[in-house]
Amino acid sequence: MSGARAIAALASKDLRIETRSREMVTLVAMLGVLVVVVLALGLGPEAAGPRAAAILWVAYLFSGVICFEKTMQVERQDDALAALLLAPVDRGQIYLAKLLANLVLMTGTGLVITVAGVLFFRFDLAAWGFAGVMALGLIGFAAVGTLFSACSSSSRLGGGVLPLLVFPLCLPLILASTQMVLAMHEPERTVSGGYGVLVAFDIVFLAAGWLAFEFLLEP
Amino acid sequence: MTTAYAEGVIGALDEARSPIVRAVGLSKWLGGRPVLRGVDLTVGTSQCVALLGANGAGKSTLLRILSTLTRPTAGRLELFGLDATRAGALLRARIGVIGHQLMLYRELTVRENLELFGRLYGLGHVGARVGEVLGLVGLESRAEDRVRELSRGLAQRVSIGRALMHRPELLLADEPFTGLDTESAERLESIVRGHRAGGGSVVLATHDAAQAARLADRVAVLRGGRIALHEPAGGHDPDALAACSRSLA
Repeated sequence: MSGARAIAALASKDLRIETRSREMVTLVAMLGVLVVVVLALGLGPEAAGPRAAAILWVAYLFSGVICFEKTMQVERQDDALAALLLAPVDRGQIYLAKLLANLVLMTGTGLVITVAGVLFFRFDLAAWGFAGVMALGLIGFAAVGTLFSACSSSSRLGGGVLPLLVFPLCLPLILASTQMVLAMHEPERTVSGGYGVLVAFDIVFLAAGWLAFEFLLEP
Repeated sequence: MTTAYAEGVIGALDEARSPIVRAVGLSKWLGGRPVLRGVDLTVGTSQCVALLGANGAGKSTLLRILSTLTRPTAGRLELFGLDATRAGALLRARIGVIGHQLMLYRELTVRENLELFGRLYGLGHVGARVGEVLGLVGLESRAEDRVRELSRGLAQRVSIGRALMHRPELLLADEPFTGLDTESAERLESIVRGHRAGGGSVVLATHDAAQAARLADRVAVLRGGRIALHEPAGGHDPDALAACSRSLA
């Protein structure tokens, strides 16, 4: 089977399962919206304005981690992962399929979270620039989360250990993207090499995921 | 050029002559404790070998190693004449596994599960093959039901169908009769016989000595990770075999 067809088959399987149960998507979106509301209320709508990217990132991080855990949990249930590993499919393709499904789910929930932020607190997101920065950030976050969800789901601690692995690793992404969004609102602020950091991070962790997934996947 | 060609021909001949499974001195340590200790096992074309033994004797671990899901700590494993540690995807496409667990996606329907695995194995005409397999396991009328809506026995039949989708040459079955009613068990016995008649080989882990005597050419009794008895099944009375298995355990 060609790599692209295997990736498409596996990713559509994950999306079909998630849309059919709907539990995860609803839970993740609600958690994300709650985080936005609580943080913005705590900071006050006026203070929240320039911190929009940081607030949204906190919501994306928590909802994203649940997303990674749930999509990997599907493989652990009834040992479905073993059937997948027995098929003549490259493990890197399994990683890319999982990443693709996670990205689609995170984009959907991310849109709900972002819209909630805009509606409640009038975040001025300078639409296209913000979307580009956050898209690059989310690709890197999904690359790291998908990679580590494979090992955390097989560990004795289960998914609980995932934020401890993923959040520190994503710091460069969060710092670069929040500084870049801030610079869009404050012309006197300059950020050099922001896109470079985001693109390099994405490339490094996509390559690492492709290569390392084989060793992290234990049935 | 000629040498490479000759080596290729010799390799193909070797593969044709080789047993389907040749395990030599397989050992596996888990959590600092030996689970398998120096197991030798050979399975030829169209043969069925039944593994008997108490819980924890090492049957499932041995099957996982044979399926390439787990690597042995020591020893050598050849499948279809090829080193099992090196020829991963090539070998996996020739093996079907029925496990302790269902190895299915509960939220997908029976048909969607079979189609998914048909696609992953690169089958042409997946829809037609799904129809054949549904007939084989007797689930035509439940094809559109989600697996989570099925009883354990029916879900086990789907799992058997998944293992057979790609027409494997070697079928590894770990207590596949668990949860099956009499009719389903008879159907599975008939599938195993049909698989062998079509040239396939089977390694079957079971607690049922009578079943082992009925289905297998040879019986291997595992005790404490070692093969304590390895004999042709034909000459054994099932009751004597069960008593022997219990005494060895």
